Order: sequence, then structure tokens, then C-alpha cells
Amino acid sequence: HIQWLGNRIDASMVSRHKELQREACDLTEAEEQLDELIAKCNLQLRLLTEDPQNKKLGYVRCQDLRQSFDSPDQLVMVIRAPPETQMQVSEPSEGYQVSLKSTRGQIDVFLCPEDSSGVC
Amino acid sequence: IGLPTNSAQECQNLEVERQRRLERIKQKQSQLQELILQQIAFKNLVQRNRQSEQQANRPPPPNSIIHLPFIIVNTSKKTVIDCSISNDKFEYLFNFDSMFEIHDDIEVLKRMGMACGLEVGKCSPEDLKVARSLVPKALEPYVIEMAKGPISNVYITGGSSAN
Repeated sequence: HIQWLGNRIDASMVSRHKELQREACDLTEAEEQLDELIAKCNLQLRLLTEDPQNKKLGYVRCQDLRQSFDSPDQLVMVIRAPPETQMQVSEPSEGYQVSLKSTRGQIDVFLCPEDSSGVC
Repeated sequence: IGLPTNSAQECQNLEVERQRRLERIKQKQSQLQELILQQIAFKNLVQRNRQSEQQANRPPPPNSIIHLPFIIVNTSKKTVIDCSISNDKFEYLFNFDSMFEIHDDIEVLKRMGMACGLEVGKCSPEDLKVARSLVPKALEPYVIEMAKGPISNVYITGGSSAN
């Protein structure tokens, strides 16, 4: 004869199953909300940084840079490159190399001076 | 009601799917946090510069400032740097004989305190007030969460936002 053993296990399994399904719905909703916020944030950031007034005011002073990397034995190099410039860094085991490749304009590189003239 | 084996199999599938989603949500949360930090830092920077220009009554000399976006490469002064540049300045090749670091401008802004300490979850009540004032309402719960410290667990903000 056949004895049905799975009854109790089955009941708890069913409730676990339901719980997981409910959670899946919650997670889907949470993820959709995040997607939406990320999209909004990206847009806001783009509008913010592309605003002509903000563009003019979006700068750091040389002294800010020096203070941010304030170790006296540090050399600070600034790179300004057009959008979509590619930067490649070698594997440390193969030496310390950086290459920059732009397709849309000149790349500017300069050193942040250490003196207090405030001029880059 | 299905057969026990079926439910067990399906539960397992759901469990796997759940882990995958949680992982994705975690990634998206840190992406959102980074975007919020960038927004706050940039707005703070613009505000600071506007104020100091108003105080000084003139913009700073052009050779004393660096506009965003930029990248910083820093290394020891002892490092020998060998640099080759193409004629049109479209291509550069640097060789360093020692270690160097690369930082983006946002990192500089964070170091300048423009992100209100949110990046490390160290935020005074005043900092938090400033930070909250710089983001849209829908993002405020995230800012409050970030101010409490680095987030390790997945959290889901209560209630859906109106805007």
C-alpha cells in the first residue's frame, strides 16, 4: 500500500513557497523604484553639470587640490580630457604605465604647483 | 496542490532568484548612493564658488582654477615620469618607475568635504541638513540612511515616494 508521507512537509513547503513569491514581488517593486531613481538622478546630474552657469562655477582651486593631497612628498598631476577619452592602465606586474587616447580633442596635462602662488 | 517534489524544486528556484535580485538591488543601491553624493558635492562646490566670487567681487584668475571634469594622478616626488605626447596632443603615454594613484574629480570634492561627510557616513546634524536641502524629496530617505553610516545590508525604504 502507499502511505502519503509528504503531507506536513508539503504544507510548510506551500507556505514557504507563498512567502517567497510575495517577497519576489516586493523585490521587483524595490528594484523598479531604484531603477527609476537612478534614471532621475542621472538626468538631474547631467542637467546640473551642463547648465552654463554651473559649468562656469564648477571648478576647484589649485589650493583645494594641494590640500586634498596634502602629503608634502606628493606630485599632483591634473588631466583634462574630452569626453570618451580612453584611459588604459597597465597591470602593476608589467610596470606602471598609463596611456590616454582621445578622439575628440586635445588632452591637457599639467602639474599642480606646490608654492603658494595659487597658480596652476 | 502540486506534488511535494515540484514545490521543493520551485522553492529552490525562487530562493536562487531571490539571492540574485538582492545582489542586483545592492549594486543599484550603491550606484544610487554614488549619484546622490555626486549631486550633493557638485551643488556644494558651485555654491561655495558663487559665494566666494560674490565676496571677492570678481572671478578668480583663470590660471588658479581647474574646471570639472578632470582626473588626478598623484605619485611620490621621487618618481621618475617618462611622458610621450603625440603632436596633436590627442595621445599620451606615461611611464612611472614607481606606484601612482588615480583619482577622479568627485574624489577630490569628497576630500574637500563637499559631500558633507556622507561618503563615509560621518555627517553632523548641520551637514545632514545641508545635504538634505540639496536633493529632491524622493532622495531624502537615502541621504538620511547614508548619514547613519556605510550600508552593508539591503534596505528598502518604506512607502513609495510621491514625486
